[in-house]
Amino acid sequence: MTEARRFRSGLLSSLNPLGFNVERWSYTLHRVTGVIIVGYLMAHIFETLQLSSGSAAWANTMAALHSLGPLEMVGLWIVAGSALYHGANGIRLILNEVFGKLMGKPILPVYPYSPTSLGRNQRIAVWTITVVVLILWVWAGFYLLAGLGVV
Amino acid sequence: MGLGWVLPARRAGGRVNMGEPSAERGGSLMRESWSMLLTYATALVLVFVLTFHLLLESPLTGKSLEDTLTFGYATGNLAYYKIVFGLLLFAAVLHGFNGARVIVLEWLHPKRAWALNLLAVILMALFLAVGSYTLYAVG
Repeated sequence: MTEARRFRSGLLSSLNPLGFNVERWSYTLHRVTGVIIVGYLMAHIFETLQLSSGSAAWANTMAALHSLGPLEMVGLWIVAGSALYHGANGIRLILNEVFGKLMGKPILPVYPYSPTSLGRNQRIAVWTITVVVLILWVWAGFYLLAGLGVV
Repeated sequence: MGLGWVLPARRAGGRVNMGEPSAERGGSLMRESWSMLLTYATALVLVFVLTFHLLLESPLTGKSLEDTLTFGYATGNLAYYKIVFGLLLFAAVLHGFNGARVIVLEWLHPKRAWALNLLAVILMALFLAVGSYTLYAVG
């Protein structure tokens, strides 16, 4: 395997959260949801540009989106979930990295190594975020998918 | 909390040393410490303005989903809350493209980082221009 391919496979592995703790899961989810949101942001900016061309252009844009069928609302639901998770987890990361909150004090590493960053407060924060985001995501699902007969 | 995190990284001997931007490290377009500061600042702005934007589109307004997608409702909101949407556009574009840049940077050879930085700045400028035009035209 060439060095470049080995390098890329290492990066791919770094995105795989299987077998790791909740911090790795939240890291991977934060990145994946971030990429989804950036994709939507680009489309949304060009979508709203049609507002400047008048109501007929906007109606055409909406008709084109509605022609996607259930995919439109399912897509919006995925974007909503991504935004909810990315936002909530982002607040936790700001508390961690900018304000130094929720994390334990640094200690000398003693075997078996246990990250002090994953203490009680951090675990509570991660699971609280997960539960709150799931509840809001289900609520958003009822709102977005109700008209499709999905729910 | 000290103010150290606000300041750019210092050279050896300082409290934080992120390294000087050199051609090998991807040029001097933006130092990574400033990039992270930008990410945190825009994230804090987004927490408030994006929540506001989502609330305007939510059933809490008493409107149906179809009502919130009408031309009148969309243009009315954009015109009435122009400063909020301007702030949302600015923060979302900077946060989003800087975040994407940081992800791609890890997959790229450091010698090519300058091209990625340049692409990120061009995309930011493009999407800021398009969004600003919408706000200007609708308002």
